[in-house]
Amino acid sequence: MMAPALEIKNLTHYYYKGTKNQIAAVENVSLTVEKGETLGIIGHTGSGKSTLISHFNGLLKPDEGEVIVDGKNIFENKETLRQSRFKVGLCFQYPEYQLFEETVYKDIAFGPKNMKLPSEEIDRRVQNAAKLAGVKQELLNKSPFDLSGGEKRRAAIAGVMSMEPEVLVLDEPAAGLDPAGRLDLIKMIRHYRDVTGCTVIIVSHSMEDIARIADRVCVLANAKVAMHGTVKEVYSKGDELRSMGLNVPEITRIMLMLREKGIDVPADIYSPDDAVSAVRNYIEGRRGV
Amino acid sequence: MISEITIGQYYTGDSLLHRMDPRMKFDLTFLLVVFVFACKSFFSLALVAMFTLVAILFSSVPLKMILRSIKPIVIIILFTAVLNIIYTTGGETYFKWRSIEITEKGINTAIFMAVRIILLVVISSLLTYTTTPTSLTDAIERLLSPLSVFHIKVHTLAMMMTLALRFIPTLIEEIDRIMNAQKARGAELETGGLIARSKALVPVFIPLMVSSFRRAYELAFAMTCRCYTGGEGRTRMKQMKLRARDFLALFTVIAVIAGIFVLNHFFEAVI
Amino acid sequence: MSEKLIEFRNVTYIYETDEEDEAPSVPALDGVNLTVSKGEFLCVLGHNGSGKSTLAKMCNAILEPTDGEVIVAGMSTKEEENGDLIRRKVGMVFQNPDNQIVATIVEDDVAFGPENLGVEPSEIRRRVDEALKAVNMYDLRLRQPHNLSGGQKQRVAIAGVLAMQTEVIVLDEPTAMLDPVGRQEVLSTIHKLNKELGITVIMVTHFMEEAVDADRVIVMNAGRIVLDGTPREVFSNTAAVKSCGLDVPQSTELCSRLGVKRTVLTAQEAVEEIIKLCGGVV
Repeated sequence: MMAPALEIKNLTHYYYKGTKNQIAAVENVSLTVEKGETLGIIGHTGSGKSTLISHFNGLLKPDEGEVIVDGKNIFENKETLRQSRFKVGLCFQYPEYQLFEETVYKDIAFGPKNMKLPSEEIDRRVQNAAKLAGVKQELLNKSPFDLSGGEKRRAAIAGVMSMEPEVLVLDEPAAGLDPAGRLDLIKMIRHYRDVTGCTVIIVSHSMEDIARIADRVCVLANAKVAMHGTVKEVYSKGDELRSMGLNVPEITRIMLMLREKGIDVPADIYSPDDAVSAVRNYIEGRRGV
Repeated sequence: MISEITIGQYYTGDSLLHRMDPRMKFDLTFLLVVFVFACKSFFSLALVAMFTLVAILFSSVPLKMILRSIKPIVIIILFTAVLNIIYTTGGETYFKWRSIEITEKGINTAIFMAVRIILLVVISSLLTYTTTPTSLTDAIERLLSPLSVFHIKVHTLAMMMTLALRFIPTLIEEIDRIMNAQKARGAELETGGLIARSKALVPVFIPLMVSSFRRAYELAFAMTCRCYTGGEGRTRMKQMKLRARDFLALFTVIAVIAGIFVLNHFFEAVI
Repeated sequence: MSEKLIEFRNVTYIYETDEEDEAPSVPALDGVNLTVSKGEFLCVLGHNGSGKSTLAKMCNAILEPTDGEVIVAGMSTKEEENGDLIRRKVGMVFQNPDNQIVATIVEDDVAFGPENLGVEPSEIRRRVDEALKAVNMYDLRLRQPHNLSGGQKQRVAIAGVLAMQTEVIVLDEPTAMLDPVGRQEVLSTIHKLNKELGITVIMVTHFMEEAVDADRVIVMNAGRIVLDGTPREVFSNTAAVKSCGLDVPQSTELCSRLGVKRTVLTAQEAVEEIIKLCGGVV
C-alpha cells in the first residue's frame, strides 16, 4: 500500500509549557492525508489551525505525537527535518509579505536555490511555478514591490510551488481578495492540483472557498478535531458548525431553514447551482404525487 | 522565542504603586538608582533591598514577574562576580593557584556587586511594571518640558517613544511571521558562521523594512485623520496630580537615603 | 432627502506616478457625482482597484480632487485651511486595525483624537467612556491593543472616531482582515451607531452580504459610479453587478434563478419565497 502523503499522530502542542498558563494550542490531533487528495481545514480564529500546520514541515516541534511525511518521521534527524521543508510547501497567510528579492524571478528561485539544485533545474522550476501560479512572463524581471496586490500574492505562492513540494499547504490563500480575485485564485489552485497531482491542504475560515476545492474537510475547534469527513458530510451539520463560530454558506443556511419548515431538500448543499436543482427537484416531486 | 522578553513591559493592576503619579515614580526611581551606588556597606544595601521588597509587596506585581526581569542579566551578574572574585584581593585567602587568588574581600565584593546590579534592575523594572508606557513617556515629556526653551522638540520625542513602544510587540510578531515564511522556503537562519547568518537575515530584514515603511505611512495617515498636528493646542485626558501618596513615597525614599548614609557611617565599608 | 453633508461635484482623481516611462495613468476617479445626506448609511462596493478607496479618502480632505470639487458641510476640501475643520466632521477607519492604533492602552488611544482637538480633560474622559461603551469595549479599556482580537481592535478604532464626535464616519474595508466573528462584531457596531446615534456612515467593502442592510448602495467600476440605489434595486441588476467583478448575495442569486420576481436579499426572504414556490405552507 502507498504511504499517505502526510500523517499526524496524536499531536499535542502547548503554549507556555511548564508554566501556570500552559494551554494546549493543539490537542491530540490525528490526521491522515492521502496522496493526491485535497483536504480543507476550517476553524475559527484561535482554534489551533496555524499552530497545527506549522508542524507539517517541522517549524514547530510537537510536545507529544508524531508528524510523518511520506512514511518518515520528520523529527528523526536533521536531514529528515530539512527534507520535510521541501516536501511540504507551507504558504502562510498574506504570503506577499515574504517577498524580498530584486526581481520576481529571483524571489521564486529562493526556495529551489536553498535546495542547492543545479541552475538549469532552478530555471525550469521557476518558469513552471510562475506558469502554474499565473504569474505573467513579463513580470518575472520586475521588482516584486512594483506588482499589484493580486500579482504579489501569486508571485509569493509561486515561490512555494517552485520547491515542487509533494504536499502544498496554503493558509487563507484568498484572504483580502475581492470576489472575482478569490474565485480566480481558487481556480488556480485547482488547476495546479489537477496538473501536478499534488496533495493540497487548504486552511480557511471561508466554507465557500473550501467547498469549491476540497475532497475532505477537517473542522478544528478549541484545539481539537471536532468534525471530519467529506465536504457533504460536514456541511450537512450546519447547526453544529455555527455553534463553533463558523459561518455556514448562505445557501446551506437557506437549505437548513427550509428543512426546518418541513421542505425536504438535502442539507448538504453549498453552491447556488445545486440549490437551484434541489428546489426544482423538490417541486417536481410534489407535483408528481 | 523573542516574544518572551519582559523588560519594559507593563503589568496591569491597580495598586498603590500603579496609582502614583508617574513623574514622582520616575524621579524616585532615579534617586534610588543613584543612591544604590552610594551604598558602602552590606547594611545600607540591605536597607534598600528591604525597601524594594516592601515596594514590590505594594505593587501587586507577582514575585515571579520580578524574577523574570532578572533572567536576561544573569550572565552579566555572573560575569562581573567572577571578575570581582579574581581581581579583588585582601583579607583572608581561601584559595590560591598561580596568580589567581580567592580572598575574603573578593567574595564580599562579588556578592555586593551582584546584589547591587539586581537591585538596580528590580527597581527600574518595578517602574515599568507599574507604569503604562504612555504615562511613562508622558512623565518624561513633562519632566523634560523645560528643555523646550532650548528649542528641543520634547513633544515630538515623546510621541516617537510612545509609537516605538506601541509597535514593539507588533514588529516582534511580524519578525516571527517572516522568519517562519522564509524558513518554510528552506532558508537556514540559525546555522552557519556570523557572516553566513547575517547574510541569511536579508530575506527577513527586507520584508520587515518594507512593511514597517508601509505601517509608518498608514499610521501617519490615520493620525492626520484624527487631527494630529503636533504638540501645540493638545490637551490630555489624564491629568497628572501629586497626591498624598506621592509625598508619602517621597518622604519614605528620603528616609531610606538618609538611612544609607547613617549605616555607611556606622558599619565597615565593603568597597 | 434631508440635509446634504458631502457632495462630489464631477470629481476626477489621478494618482501621480514618479516615473515618466509609465503608461499614462488611468484616473482612479473619473467624473464622480455623489451626494450623501445626513443620517444615511451608504455602502460603496467595487472590486480591488475600482476607485472605491480613493473615493473614501476624498471625503475628509486626505486626498484633493485633481479636477472637480468635494464639498463637506459647505466647505471645499481644496482649501488647505479647511482640512482640519473637515476632519472634525468626518472620521475615518482603515482596513488594517494595527496601523491606526497609536497608544499602548485602549482608552488612551480613544482619547487621542479629542486630545488633538484640545478638548477639556474631564470632557475627554466622558467622551472616551461613552465611546467605549457604544462599541462594547468599556470592560477592556485598560488592555493593551496587541492583546486584542482583530474585531476588538477595529472597534477601538471606531471608538476613537466616535470620541471626536464627528458627524460622518467613513470606513475603508473595515472587515477585510477579520474572521467571520470579528466581521459580525464590527458590522453590528456600525449599524448600531447609525441607527441609535444618527451618525452618517460611508462603508467601503467588497463583501456583498455587508451591503444588504445599507440604506443605499453604489457600485464602482473603473473610477465611475455604475449603479446607485437601494440594495434591492442594485442587486436586482445581477448582470451589471457581475460585470463589475462582484457577486450578488447568494440568496438573491438563488431566487432569481428560480424565477422569483421579487429581488430577495436575505436568507429569511429566500426561504419565504421558496415556500411560496412550493405551494405555500407544507
